[in-house]
Amino acid sequence: MGDQELQFAERWRDNAYGCFSSGHKFCREVCPVMQVTRNENHTPTAFHASIVAMEKGLVEVADVADDFVHCTQCGACELRCPNTLFTGDFYRHRTRTVDVVKAMRALMVETGNEQPGWKLWNERLAQDHNEPVLGDVRVSQEHVADWADGLNIPIGGETILFVDCEAAFYRTSYTRAFAQLLQRAGYPFGLMREQWCCGGPAAEMGYQDLALKHATHNVADWRAVGAKRIIAPDPHDFIAFTEDYPRYFPDDYEFEIVLGIDLIHELVQAGRIQLTNPVERTVTYHDPCRLNKRKGVHEAPRELIRAIPGITFKDVDRVTQWSYCSGGGGGLPIEKPEITAEISRRRVRKAAELEVDTLISACPWSERPLSNAGHDANIGVMDLFELLAISAGIEP
Amino acid sequence: MIFRLGEQTPPPAKRITDTVIERLEHQYEVDPGLMQITPQQDMPVWDSRRIFNARWDHLDWMHAHFADEVLLAGEESETMPEEHS
Amino acid sequence: MSPVAFKSAVDDHVLAELRAIIGDDARVRPDQSSRAFRSRVPAPFPVHRWADHFPDVVILPRTAQEVSEVVKLANRHRIPIVPRAGGTGLSDGAVPLRGGIMIDCKLMNQIHEIDLVDRTVTVGPGINMLKLNEELRKYGVIYPDDPASYPCSLVGGRIGTGGWSLLGSRYGHTRDLVISMEVVLPTGEIVEIAEGGGRKLRKSSTGLTLKQLFTGHQGTLGITTQATLELVPRPEVEFAAFFAFDDYMKAYETTGILTRSGLATLAGVVLFDEWKIAYLRRDDEAYIPQPDSVKAVVAVAMYGRKCEVEPASKEVMRLGRSAGGKYLGDEISAGDWASRHDRYATPLHGRDLDGQAVLMSWHCEDAALNYSVLPQVREEWHAIVARYREQYGIFDDWGMFAYTSGPYKPWADYLVEIDVGIWEQKLNDENWAAWVSCKREIAEVSLKYGGSITACHGATREGDAELVPDEMGSAWPVVKAIKRALDPNNIMNPGKQSLDEAYE
Repeated sequence: MGDQELQFAERWRDNAYGCFSSGHKFCREVCPVMQVTRNENHTPTAFHASIVAMEKGLVEVADVADDFVHCTQCGACELRCPNTLFTGDFYRHRTRTVDVVKAMRALMVETGNEQPGWKLWNERLAQDHNEPVLGDVRVSQEHVADWADGLNIPIGGETILFVDCEAAFYRTSYTRAFAQLLQRAGYPFGLMREQWCCGGPAAEMGYQDLALKHATHNVADWRAVGAKRIIAPDPHDFIAFTEDYPRYFPDDYEFEIVLGIDLIHELVQAGRIQLTNPVERTVTYHDPCRLNKRKGVHEAPRELIRAIPGITFKDVDRVTQWSYCSGGGGGLPIEKPEITAEISRRRVRKAAELEVDTLISACPWSERPLSNAGHDANIGVMDLFELLAISAGIEP
Repeated sequence: MIFRLGEQTPPPAKRITDTVIERLEHQYEVDPGLMQITPQQDMPVWDSRRIFNARWDHLDWMHAHFADEVLLAGEESETMPEEHS
Repeated sequence: MSPVAFKSAVDDHVLAELRAIIGDDARVRPDQSSRAFRSRVPAPFPVHRWADHFPDVVILPRTAQEVSEVVKLANRHRIPIVPRAGGTGLSDGAVPLRGGIMIDCKLMNQIHEIDLVDRTVTVGPGINMLKLNEELRKYGVIYPDDPASYPCSLVGGRIGTGGWSLLGSRYGHTRDLVISMEVVLPTGEIVEIAEGGGRKLRKSSTGLTLKQLFTGHQGTLGITTQATLELVPRPEVEFAAFFAFDDYMKAYETTGILTRSGLATLAGVVLFDEWKIAYLRRDDEAYIPQPDSVKAVVAVAMYGRKCEVEPASKEVMRLGRSAGGKYLGDEISAGDWASRHDRYATPLHGRDLDGQAVLMSWHCEDAALNYSVLPQVREEWHAIVARYREQYGIFDDWGMFAYTSGPYKPWADYLVEIDVGIWEQKLNDENWAAWVSCKREIAEVSLKYGGSITACHGATREGDAELVPDEMGSAWPVVKAIKRALDPNNIMNPGKQSLDEAYE
């Protein structure tokens, strides 16, 4: 047992026993991966038990590495865990499966237990500074703002719009919709001079140094243009900027981070965006994990959907959706695409049972696997910003 | 939701019982003096509130899961009638 | 690092046979992590002896046929079989004692059939009740098997343990809610176990009624591979009320008043003793602000049609107050009742001798006792735990509950629970032995007062298991004869419940 493993086990011992002493597994049935694999190795219980087992010399990193790939870091487990849900705020001590998984993945990288897909992905990130979301087509800084062609968005200013890699290169309709909604509202904003990936996914896959490097760059770029406020439409970025970055720069992080959906909600309520065009669709809403579970954001998107004229909205409540997921997060689609596909298939099937024609999400990362599954089930998948843009009469 | 790091530290504590304090409205907390063996975690205000809100949503959900309507006596606490129970 | 050695006759040859039976290497798992993480259940575990409890190989079957072939192989080679459903039990039913082949049924989680005419649902053993009921809701029906592990336990384990339901006085317990099942016997045959002949019959007198025998055997008589369950009309309303008392005996008296009330929609009554209230004051928002005069509590819930529950609720309010009870208010009644469906104790409830919060594992004693002995047992149990806490420092008294336990009979006996916290990180052989001794003393008190050492968890752990012959008394030879007849090679969850004695 190496020093690294022992140090790791000691650092995470308290978290480990917080779960292991209990082991009641309220996490299991809400976990999207567990619903598919039914393999107890993939439970948060097993993840935490791994740490106790390592300390006791019963397992090594190599024994558990594949288990730890099986997680989208959706946060359902750690929220549902009674240690969090019933007493987490009382003791200021809760279950932190997401942190445990990230930390173990970092240990995997350090101890020669890298996963091949993630290794390649992050090598490309290290070179191109944005994620390789276009497969064999290399992404580059040169094209990171191509989505904004014709929109005349300035560089710099007090308010910066941060655009996620998936949204900047792949799902550009999402980004254009969001930017134009802000423009319609007369809300001023600019872009970064040099936008690198937020670094969130790298951290999720265990590449901590790479994540920190990207964070450092981005923050320097923000400062260089006098930014006070960062608009983060993508929930993954919002998490990176409100959880990872404050940990990286605890004494030096003065920015306001604004969640895109909340900003749009405010602008619609204030009448600065008018939703005039009816949208004759029957829809249901997919609570993105990183909004609903990780951040507790679930009301604003629903109010926005209800504000769209002509829409028929069949809702599923936010607690039921603790067990829903697209399977798109935590690097899972890269290493276990078949599990992501099955998670999305099940999510879309739930929508289909409601007899809707469209599944609305609010997270671009969820929309790729959900769209693939939607295609097979003949259900349209759209982002909420895209839908709002249509209702506001914005040309895509 | 606007995040400002400076706003994530909870307000100072007020004492509720000899082992319980309160910082955020309606959220009791253990007296930190009892957490010397099990160290407390860094928990920003947004996270404490997220847990609190989720707990009540979960309890409502549990009611609705078992029955369509919750009937209650429609009466206040007889042990603490003046305060919210 | 070398893996933990196999304890049974599992070797490469056996693994090859298993792979041939299952036909999918991902479902035959002799790897270290698959074994390590199926060793324990939530009940306090000797962490310092973890390797002793590894299974040798884990099988994740999809069909009864696969289970049957694996069990036959185990008989050929005399290898123990350990069935495991959710692994959420509070005794050691799913904890391997001798290595062996663990049969983990979680992949068998399908809903096979919903019959709204004859009112049954047929499922695999790997399905969880909450997830099942999410699917059943649209049909206006519910499967109301409602333990504190409702969101995480699985139907197979509920059958194996003979589970108890919070709503049992209204809707029955697992044994009453399961109509029939398909079981793989210890010798590998696949049989239908029912009340009578048909899969959907609730009452019959043909042949020998086997269903009772096959619920609550703790995995020692076979493995359930399919179950046909009741579909109960979904309740229109729920009513819950909590009453506080300045004296335990008044709460105790009120419990009896409520349970003898003859109200048909009564689902459950729960009595919280003084130690429980003191424990809840540590971190439960409902109890923290309560005045000192709140010493004991009685909670009562009703489910059913509004036209029945609503008038009954008025009577409940009257009865709850009739011996000095004070209503705790709507908010607590609603919130605290809702939390009962997943009321497992969390580790930070634990306090060391200095009052410091420490992570403790939860022992939930689950004796079955008659009304008349509740106050006395309470005193004796608390005295036992206090003694061990003082001597060893790693135990903590989390108070007692008494719950209605008679199926459809609130006036019957009680599931009586003392909750004991154990600081697992501090366990070694000496204080583990002390814990077993403490546990045994608690169980002996139950027997002394004509009770049972386990209402629902099963007597599969040290501290309980050695008392099973005493409790079974004159019936013990019959129990042993049945075990020996069905499991001639003692391969089905061996070592549990002192059933090894059947082979002496």
